[in-house]
Amino acid sequence: MSAVDLLNLVIAALLLAGVYAAMSVGMTIVYGVMKIVNLAHAGFLMLGAYFVYELYARFSIDPLLGVLLAFPVFFFIGLGVHWILIRRIPSSDQPTLTSLLLLFGLWLVLQNLGYLIWGNADRAILTRRTLYVLQIGPISFPAVRLIVFGAAVASIGGLELVLHKTWFGRAVRALMQNSDAGRIVGVNVEKTARIAFGMGIAFAGAAGGLLAMLYSFSPDFGGSFLLRAFVIIVLGGLESFAGVAIGALILALAETFSILVLPASYQPAIAFSLLVLALVVLPEGVAGLWNKRHRLA
Amino acid sequence: MANCTEYDLRKWHLASIRLLLLVLLALLTLVLPRCGKGKKAGTDEIRVGVVLPISGREAKPGQYQREGIELAIHQINQSGGILVKERGKKLSVKEVFYDDGSDQAKSAGLVERAITSDNVVAVLGGYSTALGEAESVMPDRYQTPWITTGAAATTIFSRGYQYIFGTLSPTDLLGYTTAEFLGSLVDHKKLHKGLKLALALENTDHGLDYGKGIDKWIQEHPNYFSVVFSEKFELGSTDFSGLLQKVKNTRADIFLADAHLQDYITMHRQYIQTGMYHQMISYGARGPEADARKALGDATNYIFAGIWWSAKLPYPQVNKFVADYQAFTGHPPDSWYPATAYDAMRALAAAIEQAGSLNKNAIRDQLRNVELKDSLLPGQVLRFGKNGQINATFVIVQNKPDTKVDIVYPPDAATGEAIAPKPR
Repeated sequence: MSAVDLLNLVIAALLLAGVYAAMSVGMTIVYGVMKIVNLAHAGFLMLGAYFVYELYARFSIDPLLGVLLAFPVFFFIGLGVHWILIRRIPSSDQPTLTSLLLLFGLWLVLQNLGYLIWGNADRAILTRRTLYVLQIGPISFPAVRLIVFGAAVASIGGLELVLHKTWFGRAVRALMQNSDAGRIVGVNVEKTARIAFGMGIAFAGAAGGLLAMLYSFSPDFGGSFLLRAFVIIVLGGLESFAGVAIGALILALAETFSILVLPASYQPAIAFSLLVLALVVLPEGVAGLWNKRHRLA
Repeated sequence: MANCTEYDLRKWHLASIRLLLLVLLALLTLVLPRCGKGKKAGTDEIRVGVVLPISGREAKPGQYQREGIELAIHQINQSGGILVKERGKKLSVKEVFYDDGSDQAKSAGLVERAITSDNVVAVLGGYSTALGEAESVMPDRYQTPWITTGAAATTIFSRGYQYIFGTLSPTDLLGYTTAEFLGSLVDHKKLHKGLKLALALENTDHGLDYGKGIDKWIQEHPNYFSVVFSEKFELGSTDFSGLLQKVKNTRADIFLADAHLQDYITMHRQYIQTGMYHQMISYGARGPEADARKALGDATNYIFAGIWWSAKLPYPQVNKFVADYQAFTGHPPDSWYPATAYDAMRALAAAIEQAGSLNKNAIRDQLRNVELKDSLLPGQVLRFGKNGQINATFVIVQNKPDTKVDIVYPPDAATGEAIAPKPR
């Protein structure tokens, strides 16, 4: 393989990491604050994809603008879901069976709602950007993947900024570290959790819109991303947004480069293997390792 | 003491009422199913089980296949039904439909349910190889004929089952015909001899059979092509960049993949984005689907596909079917899906009429002899082979600009000339 091919592959992996990070951020927020594994995440990815598709197909709204619009719309949907369902789950420091079952059920409901509204046809968004490739010398940058990568970087950067520079961010970090201690120092746990859940769903909806620019989708869209999102947040350390970026990068690099030496049919096994490896060797994820080293230093 | 007696009496009353209710419930449990069965086993209809996916990843082809079956049933019933000599009259056909949700386990369970609970004389369905394989274990267990309308893998038909039939020609024949078509392009000096092929096959029996068919033709016709790369990939992959890079590294001249619709769309998008080029490209049986054209636009131009049926086949019965299907469903047939299902139902109807009975063994025996002489499929005659599978030829279609699709092979069915090599 030539150096150019290798470089193209590195770029493909980086851009894939962008896709993976974009779809995992929402799940991390919800887990970090509420210790809930949001199995309905895939359902909101699917709804986000259809939201952007409908805006494009009916009103010719550019998918990128659609993604931006998805954010506030899904934020309020998230608030609604929290008010109707999530606030009724007993709070816990660990994911509970109740929350898993409830959110799995919600995913099924969303999926079937999708079938009711849109039927079972595969949809896809085709714009001038879809197949456009930015060619810099011998290196190819697929435009849509670049956009998704940029959106992922902006999401993670923006979240880090919010977490470190705002009162809400400090409250979220306090809850991520120790909810009881957070409550003692005056954090409104209920309100913070509600907003965090809304944000998690908003990121899921926007990520769904971004994925719709890359893939064809139907109401069962999102399932294959759910496992990857879970692997990424476990690899990243469950509650760390910088960890999400690292987890996404590890998974994307592993998937892209392992195929050069392994048959492509082993690709799904790579995500599973990484999950098992992370749980056994690095249960606190990359962020946990980083924090440990930082403390030791 | 009196209070105690009253209490005992009340208790006794309650116990008697409970007992009575239990007896009533038990009686209802015994009587109701009989009532249902009496209705089910009615002599005025022929119940046919249909198990297809109309939700999940195979929903769209499954829906089209269902429409094909329902059109056939509608036409049969409009003509008065199927003559069953044993009953001395024509009986209408009643469809008992189940959606398997593209789930293998559910699919097999629903076939079992249709056979054991719904009193069907035969089951149609099994779209996609994976679902068809799951269903194929049931027919012999319950000695009920089953015709798969959408599974073609040879493994299904090589296990010695006696009650299974299929209206799709085997996938290895698809691979073989694909290579044969490319060979004909070499013979016509459109392509050079000795070109290198790269194969990317979905990790299913369908994919394996497709690859085997290509290998078989190449072995029988040395010096035409050589396979320089052959690898399997998982269904529903989210990224093909690594696989496509491997294909690119081989410097192959022709790229042949065998993929389902979603994978075809994802893979071909990435193929275009990586700036790859091959003289000819195919995704097996995928290519002309309207959804793919919507998702990929002009990037689908010149892709060729081997399909079981085309609406452009120059047979009068095909023209009639296309018009009837359009009128029945409100949309034209998309690819081959409804045609094989339509013929499966017609073949079953012919077998029932020949059997003159609703006896499942008699129907199975007649399915072995049935010959549908106005079949929609290439060759116009549908006949099940010894293993239960038909062996009709494939047609090769090629996408042309402006959403045009031409049959380009075999020559006697061609509606246009093959464009090879593919323009850059």
